[in-house]
Amino acid sequence: MPETGGPGISVRLDSVTKVYSISGEELPALRGITLTIGQSAVMALAGSSGSGKSTLLHLAGLLDRPTQGSVFYDDRRVDQLSSSERATLRNRSVGFVFQNFQLIPRTTALENVEMPLLYQRVSARERRDRARAILASVGMGDRERHYSSQLSGGQQQRVAIARALVTNPGLLLADEPTGNLDSRSAGAILSLLLERQEGSLMTLVIVTHDPAVAQRAGTVVRVRDGLLEES
Amino acid sequence: MFLAALGIRALKRNPYRSILTSLGIVIGVFSVVVLVSIALGAKELILQSIQNLGPNLLVVIPGSVTDSGAQVGGGTDTTLTVADAQAIRDECPDVWNASGALRTAAQVQSRHSNWSTVILGAEPSYLPVRDWHLAKGGFFGEGEEQSAARVSVLGRLVAQRLFGLENPIGHFITINHSPFRVIGILSSKGQSPMGMNQDDMVVIPLSTLQSQIMGVTYVGVILAAATHPNRVDAARREIEGLLRLRHHIPPDGRPDFEIQALSDIAKTANRMTLILTVLLALIASISLFVGGIGILNIMLVSVRERTREIGIRMAIGARPMDILLQFLTESAALSFFGSVTGGLLGILSILGIRQFLGWPAAIPWTGLALTISGATILGILFGLYPAYRASRLSPMEALRYE
Repeated sequence: MPETGGPGISVRLDSVTKVYSISGEELPALRGITLTIGQSAVMALAGSSGSGKSTLLHLAGLLDRPTQGSVFYDDRRVDQLSSSERATLRNRSVGFVFQNFQLIPRTTALENVEMPLLYQRVSARERRDRARAILASVGMGDRERHYSSQLSGGQQQRVAIARALVTNPGLLLADEPTGNLDSRSAGAILSLLLERQEGSLMTLVIVTHDPAVAQRAGTVVRVRDGLLEES
Repeated sequence: MFLAALGIRALKRNPYRSILTSLGIVIGVFSVVVLVSIALGAKELILQSIQNLGPNLLVVIPGSVTDSGAQVGGGTDTTLTVADAQAIRDECPDVWNASGALRTAAQVQSRHSNWSTVILGAEPSYLPVRDWHLAKGGFFGEGEEQSAARVSVLGRLVAQRLFGLENPIGHFITINHSPFRVIGILSSKGQSPMGMNQDDMVVIPLSTLQSQIMGVTYVGVILAAATHPNRVDAARREIEGLLRLRHHIPPDGRPDFEIQALSDIAKTANRMTLILTVLLALIASISLFVGGIGILNIMLVSVRERTREIGIRMAIGARPMDILLQFLTESAALSFFGSVTGGLLGILSILGIRQFLGWPAAIPWTGLALTISGATILGILFGLYPAYRASRLSPMEALRYE
């Protein structure tokens, strides 16, 4: 199995708040959270739906900006970077796994996995080789040419994990990765994520409301009504 | 480069929509190219027939002028004579040759058949002035002109009508019951710019027509050929001066004649066809513009439809510029392939028009290149806004888009 994951990234969120304003109405999603995720740590963010745990993950992954507060990667402030710089940082350092897989429709598994490398301007040949290797390592070597619509949920999530890992990210963020899967596939996907983290230095954050998942992570942080719950 | 590949790959994923989207541009470019080509063909046709009349030609026609200065019935007056033509020939240094001419309509008969045609009375210098040649036989000379001889030279069509496949030279025809010996056949000249078939006439000596058929002494027109195309204006001034003198018209008086240069007619025709070309191109451009709006529309729909894809791409590291360029490449590729296809179809139709309709439609290569690049730029411009919208999406919201 090829070594995956760059040097792990530690993430620090410093009194971040997030307020969504939907048609004039202000909806606070996070109300001041300070949290440090250590380098190479495995952390579960638990909480009921609507608690703000996903928002927290998106802020940590630079998909969104906090309304107030700041986000640091290895002590470097990153929330104020331009959208282009954040895109580059996401591309090189962060891998995402989503609940609904988020594979690009009408595109093969291989093309999906190659895509992050495309934005790094990696040559076609190297792209293909690396994508093939990583697809094989998640057990999808024989499904390279399949479109996402031809794959089961568990298989789609494996492709998505391969896509997240192909750039050797220092930070892997999984937003309810087993939420749309039956319990057998869910267990396998969770094991795959944890295995991959173990064989590398990368930091892994899993958002979940499944106690079984939380149990297998090293640290569990609970979120409730936009605040951290003291445990 | 890789972004171009991305855009084209996206188009291949949805071939029907891509084809339908570029159809507007295909039709737009096609109509611009074909209509401009047809207009250029019209110009070519007009210039050809003017060229056909003879090079460096000046036409002097009599014109009557009323006291109010309004000219009535230009070309119907009787002020020009053979002597005027003779004077122009002899005294204008920039006139190479000139011939008076007069025409009437008459019934012409051979032994087998008869034909109603134009009888042209002309001086022996008529042929060189018109740069016209004989297909068979000879033309009449000074001798026949002086003696008002009954000889005739037939136009191609008249020869065919009256004699069929038989050689008419040496045979007789009758014009108004007087016999005329056929001494020559003119080569085919085709239509004049005024739409008259120049092969449908019989040429006889001017003096014969004047004295034996019409009983007049004037000429209907004097044709003069300048020594060189850029001496046409000088020749015109000399003829004007000479005729004013001969007709006793003071320098500030209105002349009783009018001089037209074929180059003037050519200029007018040129201007008319230019207006026609521009007009047709404008009309066709409207369809091109509509095609551009089609691209705008489809790209907006496409951006909306693919919002989640855009979110995914952004999450895995596409910068706003990457997204912008991807969508811009899509619209550029759509309009480029659309306009190239339209151009090719246009060329095929032009070749068809030339082949089957005999219209001298030229392929407007510069126009083609301009139209194709213009249409591509149009597509890029219309793609700019949707692409910009796509690039400004928030990755978070785009990912959540259902």
